[in-house]
Amino acid sequence: MNSSTEPKQAPSEYQANLEILMQIPLFSGLPIEPLKLLAYFCKRENFKPGEIIFQQHELDENAYFIISGTAKLILENGGEEIISEFRESAFIGGLSMFFGMKRLFTLRAETPVTCLMLSRERFQKTIERFPDITPKLFEGLVKTIYEWEIRIVSEYNPQCEKCRSSIGVTLV
Amino acid sequence: MMVTKRPLMYWVKSSSLKLQVLLLIVILITVTTRVIPLEMQKKIVNHAIGQKKLDLLFLYCGYYLLAVVVASSLKFVITYLQTYLGQEALARMRKELYEHILKLPLSFFRKTSSGLVVSSLVTEVVTSSEFVGQAIAVPVTNLLTLLAFGGYMFYLNPLLACLSLIIYPLVIAIVPRMQRRSNEANKQRVDMTRILSSKIGETISGIHEIHSNGSYRIENKKYGAFVDQLMKVRIIWTLYKQGIKTTNNFFQNLGPFFLFIVGGYLAINGRFDLGALVAFMSAQDKLYEPWKELMDFYQTYQDASVSYVRLMEYYDVEPEHAVEPTDRKPYELKGDIQVKDLSFTVAGGIQLLKQVNLELKQGEQLALVGFSGSGKSTLAQCISQLYTYTGGSVQIDGLEVNDMTKQDLANNMGVVAQSPFIFDGTIKENLLYSCAAIIEGAGEQAEAKLSYPSLDEMIEVIQQVGLFVDVLRFGLNTLLEVDQQTELIEKLIRVRHNFQEQFGAELADCVEFFDEGRYLYFSSVAANLIFGNPNQTQFGLDQLVDNPYFLEFLNEAQLSHPLASLGRQLAEQTMDILGNLPPDEIFFQQSPIAADEFEDYKALVGRSAGLRLQDFSEHDQHLLLKLALRFTPGIHKIVALPELMEKLILDGRFLFMKKIATDHPGAVSFYRMSDFIYSQTILDNILFGKPRTDHPKSQERISQSIIQLLIEEDLLEQIVEIGMNFRVGTKGDRLSGGQRQKLAIARVFLKAPPILIMDEATSALDNASQKRIQNLLETKWRGKSTLISVIHRLDTIKGYDKIGVMKAGKIIEMGNYEELIAKKGVLYEFIHGAKASA
Repeated sequence: MNSSTEPKQAPSEYQANLEILMQIPLFSGLPIEPLKLLAYFCKRENFKPGEIIFQQHELDENAYFIISGTAKLILENGGEEIISEFRESAFIGGLSMFFGMKRLFTLRAETPVTCLMLSRERFQKTIERFPDITPKLFEGLVKTIYEWEIRIVSEYNPQCEKCRSSIGVTLV
Repeated sequence: MMVTKRPLMYWVKSSSLKLQVLLLIVILITVTTRVIPLEMQKKIVNHAIGQKKLDLLFLYCGYYLLAVVVASSLKFVITYLQTYLGQEALARMRKELYEHILKLPLSFFRKTSSGLVVSSLVTEVVTSSEFVGQAIAVPVTNLLTLLAFGGYMFYLNPLLACLSLIIYPLVIAIVPRMQRRSNEANKQRVDMTRILSSKIGETISGIHEIHSNGSYRIENKKYGAFVDQLMKVRIIWTLYKQGIKTTNNFFQNLGPFFLFIVGGYLAINGRFDLGALVAFMSAQDKLYEPWKELMDFYQTYQDASVSYVRLMEYYDVEPEHAVEPTDRKPYELKGDIQVKDLSFTVAGGIQLLKQVNLELKQGEQLALVGFSGSGKSTLAQCISQLYTYTGGSVQIDGLEVNDMTKQDLANNMGVVAQSPFIFDGTIKENLLYSCAAIIEGAGEQAEAKLSYPSLDEMIEVIQQVGLFVDVLRFGLNTLLEVDQQTELIEKLIRVRHNFQEQFGAELADCVEFFDEGRYLYFSSVAANLIFGNPNQTQFGLDQLVDNPYFLEFLNEAQLSHPLASLGRQLAEQTMDILGNLPPDEIFFQQSPIAADEFEDYKALVGRSAGLRLQDFSEHDQHLLLKLALRFTPGIHKIVALPELMEKLILDGRFLFMKKIATDHPGAVSFYRMSDFIYSQTILDNILFGKPRTDHPKSQERISQSIIQLLIEEDLLEQIVEIGMNFRVGTKGDRLSGGQRQKLAIARVFLKAPPILIMDEATSALDNASQKRIQNLLETKWRGKSTLISVIHRLDTIKGYDKIGVMKAGKIIEMGNYEELIAKKGVLYEFIHGAKASA
């Protein structure tokens, strides 16, 4: 009864979302049923250049996948410090799916940005219905953090006094 | 006297004396009229029939008829009076008990669930009131009737009378013994009912937890166990009750037995005339009814006493504080607070507060910080009399808080609780709640200066707490009544024009404007076809699928089949995603299927697998059409709208316009820039379109532009006023947590009391709002109101005059920010530690 049996027509936004989710490492290992529900729950949102996607210090319970455009990650510390840039296919905010947090950075659209957004509430509803996927999700999450720290350690500069105390996040 | 100390008879005595007397008189008349038919019966048999006198027959039958009619009418009057007395007592009991319960100390409600109170006030009082209604009428009527019939029987034949009355003393000896057991069972029943009510109350208030844990089985099992116990108790109770009735019946039925034997013997011997025997038998028969009613009354009385005593016992707790002062006016306090050696011990000897000392002068601001469980909130609650402290003293302007009445404190203190309660009603009602309480409390002696705050004051305060935009949005989301407020509508149409002119291009990405020549992706298929405001219910968007005229139009437009096919796609796609999940509201926000229709469509998809659309039953096709007409491509993303279909629907729109103009002119007003659309909100009317997204940033952009235009037209206040009539739902559940907290702060600010107590009052607010309220406290309220604020975020404490650091029920540090930081004590560590871990 899959829609592929239907007469040929343009794919729906839901189907496009489903394909996107399958590319995201955090979700790629999941069975199709929960993925379908997640794809159904996703929303698309457009941001103009200069618009804030999320704001430092504000509670934001969404994960984002950038479908097109670029966005800059900014640390507001008195002034504005640009930390990094997210481009097409970047997935941001996966941790917010597990714990509602106030953002430590601001994300601002640089060009027109189209995002896929998934809210924590809906993600949690999905887990509630498919509790079996939780271990898989955690595995993916931990792996991402692990790979992140491998990169930090390999780029670690022994001269930097301050950096030393801030590594070791994989030991939590 | 406290309501719980009153005996059951109080309610009888205190009911309307006039009605009671009237009732008695009516009863006396009724009883007399009841004997007449018997006497007539005898006369008809002996005089009229016996002596074959037709005129006497008619006369006596006339009397008979009259007596019966009068007796029946009077019986109705008695029932009416009885019901009135009973219901009136019930209403009084409910009101007085409710009044009493509201005053009971908070500690009482920690062991009493809301379910129990509900059951007490709704069902338990009913039994007692039934008794009150009957208390005079039933025993008096029936005793008198018994006496009358009994006397009449003696008059006919003393020997027979004695014989037939001999059973009654027997019954009187046996029944009370059985009743005692029934009372025992009844007591248990009352208790079990109570446990059950508490259980239900608890379950419903914890429904979130049950859903999130999926603990339905556990809850069903617990509940089931109580229900089974109640069932057993009820069976026993009913058996005893029925046992009494049966016993009574048995003896009653023995009566005629004696009559037949002895009466028959006497009649055969000619010592008793036949007419008298018939009358005697009737009289004997008539004893049955009053006696049964007396027995029922006896049971009602017993049940009522048991329930009543049980009920009143439970609530027999003294309120801790008087509600209003009796011999003086309520205090007007300045707000000097002095706490000396305050301690608070709860059951089990647990000390929540130990030897707390503090002093605040009028207008000083104190922040209480510390770990959770350190007693911050408890201290605040002791000062506000919510808890009655067990040692030491709390004085305001030198007056002991425990000795004050509730009204003294309410008039001088404003409390914002941790999770404030918002009542069902409008925003305005909630905003005025605290003020209204003072004004109502003052009663008739209210002075001129006590008046409700003006609209301007209310708007000012909602601006201060940051609720203005929310209320404005509620206002904008309101539907207006047809043909009212024409001036407002004219202005709104002007705003609509200006909006398109000034912001149309800029906001095109946020709003889909109504445009005759374009498909509306954020409106349903039905709305796209109608493209207007239905003026007749049969053309309402939900009714179209049942409207034969519209269905015929769909055929003509060649849309029926493609739409049913679209509906099928929607149903199948929804089932593919949600088919195996339990229906939950959140799953259905992006599907045209509503949660309660889920099973129907699931069955439809199941039975139609592999079928061709033309083979579907008419009913199923109808269901599919219903879905398709609701389909809104901008929201229901599971299916893409084929381009061909879009063109067909657009063609359909023009065909419909043409057809309806001739067939049903006036049934639909098409969207025109110059016409107000009554079926849509003010916002949609200004937009003349639909928002494309609910993302806050777009809402913000739209709001900003609309506010600007509303200011230009001088409409802002009017819309806000409409928004203040927004109904917040039970417990304010149509508001967000932040909005509830803001509303609670606003209602206290509006009251402007000399003492403010804020218990983590800004915990659910965003940073900006939190800052704004903190600023307000530091500027507007400093020096005006003494403030005690329980704080959870350390970044707001700098502005306070004093900071109290609490640990394990004690204040361990006290001073202003600079002093405590310089001291490098606990507060310093708190802040330092907080920074290190962030």
